[in-house]
Amino acid sequence: MTVTDTDRTVDAVRKTITVQTSPQRAFHVFTAEYDSWWPRSHHIGKSPMKRAIIEGRAGGRCYTEQEDGTDCDWGSVLVWDPPHRLVIAWQIDGKWQFEPDLAKSSEVEVRFTAEPGGRTRVDLEHRHLDRHGVDAAAIRTAIDSPNGWGGLLQMFVDRVEGR
Amino acid sequence: MNTYHEAQLDALGDATRRAILSRLIDGPLPVGEIARDLPVSRPAISQHLRVLKEARLVTDRADGARRLYALNPEAFDALREYFDRFWTQALAAFKRRVEAHPSKEKPHDRHRHRSHR
Repeated sequence: MTVTDTDRTVDAVRKTITVQTSPQRAFHVFTAEYDSWWPRSHHIGKSPMKRAIIEGRAGGRCYTEQEDGTDCDWGSVLVWDPPHRLVIAWQIDGKWQFEPDLAKSSEVEVRFTAEPGGRTRVDLEHRHLDRHGVDAAAIRTAIDSPNGWGGLLQMFVDRVEGR
Repeated sequence: MNTYHEAQLDALGDATRRAILSRLIDGPLPVGEIARDLPVSRPAISQHLRVLKEARLVTDRADGARRLYALNPEAFDALREYFDRFWTQALAAFKRRVEAHPSKEKPHDRHRHRSHR
């Protein structure tokens, strides 16, 4: 059987920005101070997010501390090469739960390159999105609607658990 | 509410349909292969496949005398768009944060955003 439409390769998301600072400081703010810029609405805890932490070493945890005292892991550091390069496993499944299996996780690589004028180019690549699986993809899509993901997520959870 | 999203949520709120999606991850299958070992009748599988098709999670095509069912790559396009928007927002916030204190070469451990801990 010849199959021509099984290529499920999903293009990585790639973003580049330039910031007016050194690679050292850009790397530091991106990691040690990521609590100061990460969108507060983006966490997977059940209570509001209090603080966001990336542990600065290969194998380090990426997690948020929640107001109810719990920690919510969402990833882990795969490559820690300051101030040049950082790779993080994005370990959130379609039900917004931590996914321990790296084979089902996507990866975020961030590279910091010095540019003239004391600037730093930041290249971000979020790749292997297909590892999340099509059901996770569809749930994400459904959740990411103009009506806000919270209500839809609850609706989904109710439907899954209410059977 | 967008009916496409509603249909997807409905489609995913069922264990058999999620099992069918998992089974298609390695490539397209005919209905007989999809139904194998599942504790559900063949007509029920066909009904589930119809729901998945209507929710645009699965596509089908003729392959000789049978039909092959496959995951719809569109679901991934939407996931990709989700992350595209997310990173645009997050990196803009990162840039604002970095450039708000351009002279600070030696970052502090503590700053105003953590004052509410």
